[in-house]
Amino acid sequence: MIEVRNLVKDYYGHVAVDDLSFTVEPGEIVGFLGPNGAGKSTTMNIITGYISCTSGQAIVNGYDVFDEPEKAKKSIGYLPEQPPIYPDMKVYEYLMFVAELKKVPKKDRAQMINDIMNLTKIADVSEKLIKYLSKGYKQRVGLAGAIVGYPEILILDEPTVGLDPNQIIEIRELIKSLSKKHTILLSSHIMQEVSAVCDKIIIINEGKLIAYDTPANIGRMIEASKELIVTVKGNMTMIQSLVDGMEGIRHVRYEKVSDEEVGMVIKMEENVDIRENLFAVMAKASCPILEMHIHKLTLEEIFLILTHDRDSARKYKEKMTEEVAE
Amino acid sequence: MGAIYKKELKSYFTSMIGCVFLAIMLIIVSLYFFIVNMLNMYAEMSTTLSAITFVIVLIMPIITMKTIADENRQKTDQLLFTSPISIPKIIAGKYFALLTLYGIGIMVICTYPLIMNMYGDAQLIQSYSSIAGFFLMGAAYLAIGVFISSLTESQVIAAVISFIVMIFTYLMTSIASLIPTDHRSQWICMAILVVIIAAIAYSMMHNYFVSGALFVIGEAIFAILYFVHPSFYDGLVVSILSWLSVVERYNSFMLGIVDISSLIYYLSVIFLFLFFTVMRIKKKRWS
Repeated sequence: MIEVRNLVKDYYGHVAVDDLSFTVEPGEIVGFLGPNGAGKSTTMNIITGYISCTSGQAIVNGYDVFDEPEKAKKSIGYLPEQPPIYPDMKVYEYLMFVAELKKVPKKDRAQMINDIMNLTKIADVSEKLIKYLSKGYKQRVGLAGAIVGYPEILILDEPTVGLDPNQIIEIRELIKSLSKKHTILLSSHIMQEVSAVCDKIIIINEGKLIAYDTPANIGRMIEASKELIVTVKGNMTMIQSLVDGMEGIRHVRYEKVSDEEVGMVIKMEENVDIRENLFAVMAKASCPILEMHIHKLTLEEIFLILTHDRDSARKYKEKMTEEVAE
Repeated sequence: MGAIYKKELKSYFTSMIGCVFLAIMLIIVSLYFFIVNMLNMYAEMSTTLSAITFVIVLIMPIITMKTIADENRQKTDQLLFTSPISIPKIIAGKYFALLTLYGIGIMVICTYPLIMNMYGDAQLIQSYSSIAGFFLMGAAYLAIGVFISSLTESQVIAAVISFIVMIFTYLMTSIASLIPTDHRSQWICMAILVVIIAAIAYSMMHNYFVSGALFVIGEAIFAILYFVHPSFYDGLVVSILSWLSVVERYNSFMLGIVDISSLIYYLSVIFLFLFFTVMRIKKKRWS
């Protein structure tokens, strides 16, 4: 379990993490999402005790990282942005060193490392010098190092960066399988990746928490953003009266495209599809529909809106709540 | 600590740095041993070793430069400082690995008096006490080198700074003897020293008040002493510098005396610089 309370990190006036609070429950995979420079790595570095915070608390497995660092660090496996590997060491030797560093009992070491090398699929390079490995292998060696000692909590900073698509899928599967035994906090700036593996998503920007929810709830936000875009040939007032008489519409925005054509952006009520009905009504009034399609905000767009700038995020949130209230 | 010690010691021999270090050290010591003790038949090691203290100055940066700078550059410090082991233990592990490497060289030198003894009566006590002094002096330089390595991410910068600092400590007393001995110049020297200390204090604490107070109080004390008690300045700079000098302290060992104050001096230098290293790393976490 990870508990972060009112975390602030101030680098001489530049606030990297601004009053951040969240909790990761045991057994969860939580995705940490934000654009570059949002404070993801800083937060992770604070939780793992690599750097300190200006104020606030980070509690890992019941131990405060600053008051009882050794106990807290014992339950964390950390893969930083750049895997902390020694180029002049062999893979097996490196993992042995990490195991010793993490105080794994001597008799368990060899077995554990063999298991982990099989798990992360690096057993075939175990006797190679790390500097001769490809980026993907290096990343996996770093991940293996984080898993050594089977800590309760894994903190992975952009674990799939630099991997090819096959490897990304492999690593995702690996992370999913690890979540049976470990609590995982992983960061990414790619929405899809996070939504594919995580139970919950934390979105941060400029060090501030913007959203903390399940992918399903964030999906609901997307559902609520569904819009029907229609262009109809006909007279504006007539079309307005026709549409206003229809059911299942929450909100319509009209737009005059030209003298003959009217554009509409229709917000439908949840679980209602008015497209057939609309077609019938318009056909009856002999106003041909020139264009009709459903526009859905993707997770990516929501992420962009939420993180692009705080103003538009706030406006977006207001808009959403307003419309839901309507 | 054991894990780091083993890893460091191993890395000196996989990357050849350790071999190069030992080779240079032993070639020069052996050459001087051959010339001074074998050809010129001096029956003790102190002359030999005092002639080559400069070698220590030259080669120590080779092994100390990468100790921490390289961890910073490769970001492997993220592994070390997030593992369940305290910072003093990490530094101690690294320092003992350096000491072991240097100790291997010293062990080889320890056989030289015995070689001499095979051909006559060598002055063993004097020889071994000067070897012990040589070892302690090197150990002090290692601690200074470790501290300098923790200041930067670049091995080259660490090596160059270590080199300059070590050369300076080596030449310190001779530089000091060049400074005019009148009271006023001595006072100026002390005033400059206070400025430097205040600047260092500011760069470490980023606090105008503390460093300012340090500056004002320091300058005031030296000014008052200058006017009230001028004899305080008699040969002050030279005595301070030679008291501080790492090399100067070695002289007592050459005479076959294990001087307790010199022993304590070397141990304090080692402890102090390793302590500074730990502080430096902790400070980096906080900024």
